[in-house]
Amino acid sequence: MKIADKRKENDQTINLIKCLTECQKGEEVSVVSITAGFNARRRLYNLGIYPGSIIRKKKDAPFHGPLEIIVKGTNIVLGRGLASKILVRCSESCIFR
Amino acid sequence: MSCHLPKNKLKDRKLSEATINIALAGNPNVGKSVIFNQLTGLSQTIGNWPGKTVEKLEGYLEFLGYHFNIVDLPGIYSLSTYSLEEIVSREYIVSDNVDIIINVIDATNLERNLFFTFQLLELKVPMIIAINQMDILRKRNIELDFNQLEAIFKIPVLPVVAVHGTGVHELLEKCIELVRNTSKNPSRICKFNKTEYIFPNLSEIMSFGKEIELKIKDLILEIEHIQTNIQEHKYPFRFLAIKLLESDDEILKFFNYTEKSKPLLDKTTEFVKELEEYHGEDINSIISSEIYSNINRIVEKVVKFKTKKEMKKISLADKLDHLTTHSFWGYVVLVLVIAGIYSFTFLIGGFLGTIIDDSFSLWTENIYLLFGKENVLVKILWDGGLGGLMGAIGGVLVYVIPFFFTIELLQDSGYLPRAAFLMDRLMHILGVHGKTIITMILGFGCNVPACAGCRIMETEREKKISIALTSLVPCAAVMTVVMGLVGRYLGLEWVLILFLINFIVIIIVGKILNKTLPGSCTELIMEMHEYRKPNYKVIAKQTWVRSKEFIFKALPIIIVFGIILEILFILNILEPINVILSPITVFWLGLPALAGVFLIYGILRKELTLVLLALLSENVGLTLTGLLTPIQMVIFSLVTMLYIPCFATIIIIAKQTNWKYALQIAFLEIGIALVIGGLIHFGYILFITL
Repeated sequence: MKIADKRKENDQTINLIKCLTECQKGEEVSVVSITAGFNARRRLYNLGIYPGSIIRKKKDAPFHGPLEIIVKGTNIVLGRGLASKILVRCSESCIFR
Repeated sequence: MSCHLPKNKLKDRKLSEATINIALAGNPNVGKSVIFNQLTGLSQTIGNWPGKTVEKLEGYLEFLGYHFNIVDLPGIYSLSTYSLEEIVSREYIVSDNVDIIINVIDATNLERNLFFTFQLLELKVPMIIAINQMDILRKRNIELDFNQLEAIFKIPVLPVVAVHGTGVHELLEKCIELVRNTSKNPSRICKFNKTEYIFPNLSEIMSFGKEIELKIKDLILEIEHIQTNIQEHKYPFRFLAIKLLESDDEILKFFNYTEKSKPLLDKTTEFVKELEEYHGEDINSIISSEIYSNINRIVEKVVKFKTKKEMKKISLADKLDHLTTHSFWGYVVLVLVIAGIYSFTFLIGGFLGTIIDDSFSLWTENIYLLFGKENVLVKILWDGGLGGLMGAIGGVLVYVIPFFFTIELLQDSGYLPRAAFLMDRLMHILGVHGKTIITMILGFGCNVPACAGCRIMETEREKKISIALTSLVPCAAVMTVVMGLVGRYLGLEWVLILFLINFIVIIIVGKILNKTLPGSCTELIMEMHEYRKPNYKVIAKQTWVRSKEFIFKALPIIIVFGIILEILFILNILEPINVILSPITVFWLGLPALAGVFLIYGILRKELTLVLLALLSENVGLTLTGLLTPIQMVIFSLVTMLYIPCFATIIIIAKQTNWKYALQIAFLEIGIALVIGGLIHFGYILFITL
């Protein structure tokens, strides 16, 4: 029952666009858009975070702090404010799918 | 930009026949510094601290008849203009000072590293790729096809294990080979002629999508048309065209000055608009994703998994990572780490310090017996000069060396970014992001390198706040005063109270600066490296390098001031200074008049306040408890803690920002110390009378 519920919930969220901050731990997502400032955006692109790239959320820091993501095999920490400006969508190979 | 040193030029002339100028370039923390150290023996700091190599580091080496000038460029992620380091590196690489670039790549992080490689390749400077940390990759059962890599890039690609020195000198052999192949007479040792080098055609792997390539070609034609005024910049036209599309400020500046370049700039804006409409993304994102998709194709070809099974085993590094970023245990570890830095420093330092102090007093007795206690020369040279030296060794150096060791250990193992991760949220309250905690942890040992480390902050505003906060962190020297005075005579609970006051001050100062400085807090973007086993050889070497700097720079000053102080004592000049300062020391803070001059000396080195106080009490024949009442001890320690950053710290702050800001911080801290000291003094009087 519980699993079924969860699956149903996930079905609804699969194609939903959401903030990176709303992702669950371990969720694999593809970036849809980044609305941060010019410099921050360019820095993110250089690190491999650009619309279309696949990233995985590793963990959240305590107390609503930054979050750690895995991009192309590298662990990168992003401030929460910045992460909330990155819109993502659940990727095809995501385990929650 | 002409970055080369005149010293470099001299060497060039002497060995003009056989000099090869090399620049090491790559992402931060890929082992560039380790390779640099292996090659030159000239040491610099190596660590896991993101963006540590900010200065340009140079070294020399004679190898197989050639003279190598090697420059270690700062670790950067791209050649755009995000930071000063990127601009400096870019300009340096295309200058005449570089013959060959060695691009150091982290094998465990191939894609992101190759992004930078692709940008370097656009500069069309002779290049060799060194793929580092191959040992770690092989442990993961992954192998790289180097033949394939060389076939793809058409330049030498070599495996390296920098920490063991494997493959490092082969890089130089490849450089020599490259030089000889370019020359008309390959058998002879000869000077490298960069203009004769034919850069391989890499359009197959470097090309973007058709629509972008067409625009780039069009722009190149335009640039060729007006080439006369950009000749001096030496960038390949294709690089200029790409950077124009990316609206790179520095490159745009090249073209801004002439009427001739107007059609080019107009065309650029038009193309950018077209491409952005076509892709629905902004131009920087389009170009980045094009480069990454090119990289993807290469990575698929060269990465070979030896076993199909992916490693599922959780390694010790992962466990440590989990523990140190845990929402509860992470903070416990953080507190333990800071406590560990202190206790290790004090345990070793205290032990060695006692031995040195004891032996010095033994010698002193013998010297007194030989020459007499009242001999002026004995007083100046022995008590002042050597006393200062021994005081510095026994009181400072024995603490500084273990501290440097722990800091190097923390940096090399990769702990510090975890602290930044945990503290980011809390640091935002103070107007900075998590990286500031790194410099603050360093500050617990010594404010001087910690404030210098504040250059890792991205914006001027954050640098200023970080420096102010870091300079307020009680360093090991302050700790000796607090422990030696309050801890010894009043108990540890008073030490904790003093620390609490200190941290409240840090929070208040952070809040004030956050409000007053214009701008707002930027967000944390930081790479979090995996933990790795510390390399004790590297740590020991770095500890020595840092300590050496302290020995040769700080010790002479301490000796000189020891002599001066002794002369002042003999001539009795201290009295007027104490009288001048007495309104502050005696009336406002309730300290004995003689404290004034010690606080002045404390500006040089904070621990001097206690050292001199102890010396004086010995001279007068009193113990410290006879000299100061408990409340005076508290106030004296507190004022020492807060009243001013030490002289060396002020100089570093001025270097990092400007003298105005350094003095502002100094006066701010004097003000804070006086306010709090006065409050305690008068609060205490009130308490007593009531």
